[in-house]
Amino acid sequence: MNTIIQNTLAFSAVGLAVLFLAKKYVLPTKKKSNKACGGDDGCGCH
Amino acid sequence: MSKQINVALIGNPNTGKTSVFNALTGLNQKVGNYPGITVEKKEGICKLPRGVKAHIIDLPGTYSLNASSLDENVVIELLLNKNGKDYPDVAIVVSDVENLKRNLLLFTQIKDLEIPTILVINMSDRMAYKGISLDIAHLERELKTKIALVSTRKNKGIEQIRELIIKHKELSVEPCLNSSTIDESYFDNLKKAFPNQLLYKLWLVITQDVNFGKTDRKNYEAVEDFKTKSKTDLKRLQQKETIKRYQFINETLKKGQTIDLKSAKDLRIKLDRILTHKVWGYLIFGLILLLMFQAIYDWSSVPMDFIDSSFASLSEWVKETLPEGAFTNLLAEGIISGLGGIVIFIPQIAFLFLFISILEESGYMSRVVFLMDRIMRRFGLSGKSVVPLISGTACAIPAIMATRNIESWKERLITILVTPFTTCSARLPVYLIIIALVIPEGRILGLSYQALTLMLLYLIGFGTAVGSAWILNKIMGLKSKSFFVVEMPNYKLPLFKNVVLTVLEKTKAFVFGAGKIILAISIVLWFLASYGPGDNFNNAESIITEKYASENLTKEELHQKIESQKLEHSYIGIAGHAIEPAIRPLGYDWKIGIAIVSSFAAREVFVGTLATIYSVGSDEEETIKNRMAGEVNPILGGPLFNFASGISLLLFYAFAMQCMSTLAIVKRETNSWKWPIYQLVIMSTFAYIVALVAYQVLI
Repeated sequence: MNTIIQNTLAFSAVGLAVLFLAKKYVLPTKKKSNKACGGDDGCGCH
Repeated sequence: MSKQINVALIGNPNTGKTSVFNALTGLNQKVGNYPGITVEKKEGICKLPRGVKAHIIDLPGTYSLNASSLDENVVIELLLNKNGKDYPDVAIVVSDVENLKRNLLLFTQIKDLEIPTILVINMSDRMAYKGISLDIAHLERELKTKIALVSTRKNKGIEQIRELIIKHKELSVEPCLNSSTIDESYFDNLKKAFPNQLLYKLWLVITQDVNFGKTDRKNYEAVEDFKTKSKTDLKRLQQKETIKRYQFINETLKKGQTIDLKSAKDLRIKLDRILTHKVWGYLIFGLILLLMFQAIYDWSSVPMDFIDSSFASLSEWVKETLPEGAFTNLLAEGIISGLGGIVIFIPQIAFLFLFISILEESGYMSRVVFLMDRIMRRFGLSGKSVVPLISGTACAIPAIMATRNIESWKERLITILVTPFTTCSARLPVYLIIIALVIPEGRILGLSYQALTLMLLYLIGFGTAVGSAWILNKIMGLKSKSFFVVEMPNYKLPLFKNVVLTVLEKTKAFVFGAGKIILAISIVLWFLASYGPGDNFNNAESIITEKYASENLTKEELHQKIESQKLEHSYIGIAGHAIEPAIRPLGYDWKIGIAIVSSFAAREVFVGTLATIYSVGSDEEETIKNRMAGEVNPILGGPLFNFASGISLLLFYAFAMQCMSTLAIVKRETNSWKWPIYQLVIMSTFAYIVALVAYQVLI
């Protein structure tokens, strides 16, 4: 029983870590709005 | 009934206008509001000889008559409304002797409204300190006015203002600038359409977005034979007017004002003369850097050792206390070891930012920017590249974003491409641990070899950035250079609160920014190092027991051999051995290879990765530094981290493009993958070659 809990926790942590890294570096991030903020640099950050 | 003179007191903010007002009116003043708005109206009475009284209005501070706020509108409305009860018989423009050029812009505008205007030059007591001398007669002649040289602080010159107010009718109302020169054909039309109006007053009414009682701008637009210009054209003409005024002011001050820095007695000027000197300036900056790095080493060794041993004990405690199993191993060998690899550097990072913050707060950093500008120009970059390159010492990402204010695209691109060479704070953990392992602890002239090495690495980073900028400049054929203006703030004692807040904010950003990535990578690495395919991993215990059956190994020695066998044949071991041939000539083993690959996400991951790998491969309670120091070169024998491999690693990290976030930001700023790919390939190849040569020469 103890082994099952330990393994579940450990592999869940590994899964979450992989997901976090994939989200950060591999999967495309949501593109920000192209609407500019008033300045004409078209930064889309405001 | 005694005669009353209306006086308008006008000036730029912070020129001591209110001090002049107080000196003239004493207690005879009252404060109210301008009708309909919440702008404060201060007025007072100044008693003059022969029973004459001056009604003085202290108008809100303004930089020019081009209104952009309610306060400034008040000034313009009062000056343009000739029928208003407060319309001045005489205007007093208060200026500050240190900023005369800027203050004279407003003076010339008021003078051109043909209002008798007195120029008060305040803070005259600062002239000797600043090495300023004025030719008052020349200035009076050129500005067509009378000047009162005043020091409200020392109560000097106030009497002269009173005399000039009484004699205001003797003042010339001749304008400083002939308005027609702004745009001859436009002003000719204006003159023809409104022959009885003052030209400059018309111009102000047309260009301002405010109505002035009877002189409503709609009246002008209603005149059919006069064509008004578009707002853009009017703005352009306003700019032209400002340029013309400054041309006039520059010409006037050329003879009327002398600033002799050599005779200046002001502490700020004296300090500036030394700190921005072409020889002493650089020497002092070098000395400050030396002291800074020395202090970083001396002060942080105790807390660092404490953190290192605390994490080692914590890891051991977790192993002993929690029930045996995968999760306990993950906590002890993966998470705690990995996090220990970042937390250990908090003292040094905090001290680094403490010094940077003190230098910024004291006003010295602006002088450093000025010094660096001189170097930049020699290497083909303008001063505007200084700020990104210097801020690159904290992190390349905001530094690359700071290049947005460089107008020239080529210049901006070069700055973006070379900025990652400057030593960012993410390199610091790698440098610190390697320096601690391979550079001896001895001292020369009170400075430790380790601190000198760290400083040398910072200089190498900056030198490479500047050198590669020069090469790119030659390749790209950059011709135009943008100008750079930096305002030198006054020197001041750093505010304790500001310094503490900066240190906390920067350290927090470093720990939490990198911490999440390091934690995730440590977990993944633990898995890859704790599991593996095939018999060599799964039957490691029986293989090793059988192999060493004839040798009388202790239980601990046997256990160590089994752990090593497992690590060698784990997923990470297999991957590490695959890349080993490429890194072996640089003096690295497969474990360092894995750390280099994982630190491609972020450089600071390097130490955490090694801490995790060594932790999985060992059962002993040891600090990160001791584990690394105990590693043996599998081929040559002896310590893996020796002088040759250590220098090779330091140089590799000095030049390699080991930061995915920087690549992403370069892509965003250049709007192309081409430049980040060039950057990655060129920097990594260069780093590999330099590291290879260094190892082969030093071995």
